[in-house]
Amino acid sequence: MVDELDPALIRAAAAGDLRAFETIVRAYQQHIWRFLRRFLGDAAAAEDVAQETFLRLYRSLPGFAHQAKFSAWVFKIARNAALDELRRRQRRERVTVAAAAALDGAGDAGGTAGETKVEIEAALASLPADLRETVVLVEVFGLPYAEVSAVVGAPVGTIKSRMFRARERMQDWARTAEEAAGGV
Amino acid sequence: MGCEATRLAVSLRHDGELPDGPEHDALDAHLVGCAECRRFEQDAARLRARLRLEPVDEAPDIAAAVLAELRPRAVTPALRRAPRSARRPLVAAAVAAVAGIVAGATFVGIGRTPQSPAAADIPTEVVAAQRDVRSVDARFTLSESGRPDDRRGRLAYEAPETLALTVQGGSSLLVDQDSWWQVSRRECTPVAGRVSCPGETTRWVATVTGREPFSLSEPIPLELVTPVDSFALAASSDESRLGRRTIAGHAAVGVVVTAAQVAPFLSGLAEAADLRPVYPADPVEMWLDADHLVPLAVDVRAADDAWRPRWAATQGVVDRPGDVVVAFTVTSLKVNDPIPDDAFDPPSGRPDATVHAGFRPTGTTVAPSPGRLPEGFREYRTGTVTTPGGPRVGVRSWTDGRAWLSVRATEGWSGGRLFGDLGPDVRPLDLGAAGQAYVSADGRLVALHGDGIDVVVSGSLPPDQLQAVAADLGVVGQPVPAGWSEAASGTLIVATDAVPDLLAARDLDGFGAAAVRLDGLTISQVYAGPGDRGFTLVQDFAASQLAPSGAGDEVGVAVRGEQGRYSYERGELEWVEAGVSRRLRSPTLALGELLAIAEGLRPA
Repeated sequence: MVDELDPALIRAAAAGDLRAFETIVRAYQQHIWRFLRRFLGDAAAAEDVAQETFLRLYRSLPGFAHQAKFSAWVFKIARNAALDELRRRQRRERVTVAAAAALDGAGDAGGTAGETKVEIEAALASLPADLRETVVLVEVFGLPYAEVSAVVGAPVGTIKSRMFRARERMQDWARTAEEAAGGV
Repeated sequence: MGCEATRLAVSLRHDGELPDGPEHDALDAHLVGCAECRRFEQDAARLRARLRLEPVDEAPDIAAAVLAELRPRAVTPALRRAPRSARRPLVAAAVAAVAGIVAGATFVGIGRTPQSPAAADIPTEVVAAQRDVRSVDARFTLSESGRPDDRRGRLAYEAPETLALTVQGGSSLLVDQDSWWQVSRRECTPVAGRVSCPGETTRWVATVTGREPFSLSEPIPLELVTPVDSFALAASSDESRLGRRTIAGHAAVGVVVTAAQVAPFLSGLAEAADLRPVYPADPVEMWLDADHLVPLAVDVRAADDAWRPRWAATQGVVDRPGDVVVAFTVTSLKVNDPIPDDAFDPPSGRPDATVHAGFRPTGTTVAPSPGRLPEGFREYRTGTVTTPGGPRVGVRSWTDGRAWLSVRATEGWSGGRLFGDLGPDVRPLDLGAAGQAYVSADGRLVALHGDGIDVVVSGSLPPDQLQAVAADLGVVGQPVPAGWSEAASGTLIVATDAVPDLLAARDLDGFGAAAVRLDGLTISQVYAGPGDRGFTLVQDFAASQLAPSGAGDEVGVAVRGEQGRYSYERGELEWVEAGVSRRLRSPTLALGELLAIAEGLRPA
């Protein structure tokens, strides 16, 4: 659940009031970092991209149409910054990611399938970006589908099917992990 | 209520999105008797609990760092524009031409009358010219709005698969047949928990060996050599001509396209340069060497589009309509001359990461050869790809200049969908004696599900030539099993039998044939165009009115004589016609172009 801010505060920041902008950063930084942390699967990258998000936000405040929900708009900027980061990562680090995936596979085979934080992150990471961002916005932040639709730019019907597919895939992933660990 | 419907309803109820009504009772009744669906419900609850389990104090305080970044230049953001790049002057005539296009047309490629036969022939010429390119050595400059200095770069290429791309201040990419190197500046480890962040930028060298010929997962940016993907499906008579000029001593022919159309070129460039974002409908002047169709200049300008300022705001960029946002300009070019040996020297030092992609040359392979090759093609690399947990895949490839052709095959495929990653939207195609084939929406992949063997043909050739190769492999394709996703694909004829009032985009230049999907009374048609251009037409014969309005970004528009609406956010035009809900959706076409397509729809 993300609170909305006073429109006067947003207008003041758009006019160049850095104290007003600092208030905005402090109000949203935790939400944005958590979103990015889950979306990118990397705390350090989440911190960098969160900073980039707020710099982008500051640059683009004059373009904010006050009819829209401000929190959804901030999430959208964070999402775009994260997608840029994923594209950069995909281009530059294809080899490293492939190597890490191979290592992950080897490690998982001998691991346990407890309900650990590492595992939920791995399950999230196994989803394609469009399903992952939807899961995080719905599950972590409790956004209604209509707001998620506004953030990711997809129809509500698509959000419904993405959530359903994401749940199915994460369930499959969890079962595979359990079987690999000699469980059910 | 079946299990699939139940789980969808469980998912909706879990998120508070299942409307009040009898469906709740039906759902509960099913759950009582179905352990699998109960488990799905329990898993959903466990997933939520685990995802929300995160200590709040883990989040770092970044406010000070953000403010420190802003304070030295604390000026009113409304007045602070992205710094103007010190870019090279672009040709005045071209500026005037594009200014007219930006002001007068929001779309390119539909309903235009060709004014220059040379320009009109460009799509065909580009696809044909790739076979005559043996080598390219180009120096170029790259300028971007928001970046203070121009960057210099070099592209060196030897057919078919050796390429070096370097951009000053960016990274460099070297592909040499089965090996691939990338040198970049790395600020932090990309994989959480593996290595600590060094806190400073370091040179990072990554290497792939065992690269499959013309691999789609370690792609080589051949679009920089000849922009085949940007023109393969383009209309042959719809380009907007820019006339001719001379660039780096070479006669050049220019066309105006969109950023979406040249997305493969920009993606290729981005392999070595972090490029700023561009808007899909941004107009692009592309100038090509008149002899070899090698790109000589590519200038992307900010479109004068109603939604663009909102898009720019969410990207953190500020552009004025007509601003050049990305400019690629070749400063020297040699085609089909020998390339100095050192152009393809691997980076010095030991790589920081090395991966074997699984391809090994072998004398025999399960991949079949066509009875006849396209004229001029010669055999290239052949081998087998093995990856942990993946199928064993045989590969054959052939080439002629920059053009390429590949046949991949595997035996005992049990993927539950077509082998070859054709995407969700495919077109069934009758190959006569070769049976049933499936073609990806963009026509670039042709798959056969044979008896004990699954084959996919790909390449940079036109779709009809790829299909001819697929028909000549000695494999007889069968319809996919009923449980596979592609089983719902059909043809317009089949769809019209199911729903007589179906509309289709007939005779639309610049797009491939429709990939049709039948999901009950919902018929989807996917039309791919050059580059990232494309659109989807969805007609829901079970819905006689539009769904409730969504994010509030819609505007009312007249569509085919009906009152419809358009969502800028989703790129979706919706209307009801003859009691049927119809939607045209595209992330890359502007409203004007979608309206033109809508007006051209005819009974299928």
